[in-house]
Amino acid sequence: MSDISVTEAELQAHVDGRLAPDREVAVAAWLAARPEEAARLLAYRSQRDALRRALDPIVDEPLPPALDLRLREAPRARWFARARPAFAANVAALLLLGGAGGWMLRGWSAPPTVGTAALAREAAASYSVYASDTLHPVEIAASQRGALDGWISARLSRPIKAPDLRGAGLELIGGRLVASEHGPAGLYLYRYADGGRVAVYVRPMQVDRTDKMVPRKEGGVRGWTWADNGMGFGIFSGNGDGGDTLHNVADMIRTQFERT
Amino acid sequence: MISLVQPLIPALRRYARALLRDREDADDLVQDVLERAIARWAQRREAASVRAWLFTILHNLALDRLRQGKRRGTAEPIDTLPEGRLATPARQDAAIARDDILALVAALPEEQRTVMLLVGVEELSYAEAALILDVPMGTVMSRLSRARERLRRMLAGESVGARPALRIVS
Repeated sequence: MSDISVTEAELQAHVDGRLAPDREVAVAAWLAARPEEAARLLAYRSQRDALRRALDPIVDEPLPPALDLRLREAPRARWFARARPAFAANVAALLLLGGAGGWMLRGWSAPPTVGTAALAREAAASYSVYASDTLHPVEIAASQRGALDGWISARLSRPIKAPDLRGAGLELIGGRLVASEHGPAGLYLYRYADGGRVAVYVRPMQVDRTDKMVPRKEGGVRGWTWADNGMGFGIFSGNGDGGDTLHNVADMIRTQFERT
Repeated sequence: MISLVQPLIPALRRYARALLRDREDADDLVQDVLERAIARWAQRREAASVRAWLFTILHNLALDRLRQGKRRGTAEPIDTLPEGRLATPARQDAAIARDDILALVAALPEEQRTVMLLVGVEELSYAEAALILDVPMGTVMSRLSRARERLRRMLAGESVGARPALRIVS
């Protein structure tokens, strides 16, 4: 058995697990008689594994927006493609209603479908649904903050960390991923010591990639929205503190995201 | 095109960072690769896998950059070598600390380092590695063999010729 000839290239292929089964058998037999060679190949395998372990975390990092091809399609073209059916439907509705009397349309305006105005509606809707939920307001609790941040970062394809708002008396309850017309969004819920809840909503922006901080009122829910570097933010509360207090918290969030 | 390229971007980042050893430089490089891939998508030869094609573009751009860096006389980004290793308490005999292995691989000659990364980490076939490096497959195998042996000796604490140069002198 010991006269089988084995090449160095085959030994390398053995390390990589790329030998054909019959050659693998031959190499194994050859190595069985040569413990030093076997140790050498074992060392190769462990160095390769160590190198993989050292470099693999890079693959799990969220992709920076500049490297994300999905964000590259011309935003205008995409927006138009999506908006057009709605536009056509509105035109059809107008034609139908036209004869019925233009007065019905006093103050009529299409609800915002893009930009921070749309984000405000999504954020306020998410607040209304989840902040009032006493059983399952969040999917992942603050105790598993790493998992929560990891999940939202992965789905939003950029590094997102739940803002630390303890300085404003807000304790993180947890968060979840929510669906929007514009793709996945992250929702974080916080509570004041008195139980009042505040929602922080984040998602990537195609339109209004940068937008100043403006106050919003959506039904009984008030808050602020803004956008920086392609990320849109909303902070909403139904506690009637939509004014200065929430504005300060919004500034706090903005500062924290600027630092990352 | 996006559906074919997008899933490969994380691996491109990994290879770029392993070569350039700087996150920003590496991501910058990957962005260049993507621009080129988009511009030259139609000229791609169907025979080669998209993966091998993208790695070829990345590899060539990376070497251009490394060589430009050398011409300017900048230091190769090699972190502290064995000092860091000695400072790390041995956890298990078999476990090799992360920083050690990266520093040691960085100390390998470029032609050995690239083969080791393409085959060992990126798991490209030997034939694909040969295509990317533009060398015969036999050369890939011999470089791989030399790279692994050199690394093994370094890890075993044997001296491998002179200590790896920390500065490239043009």
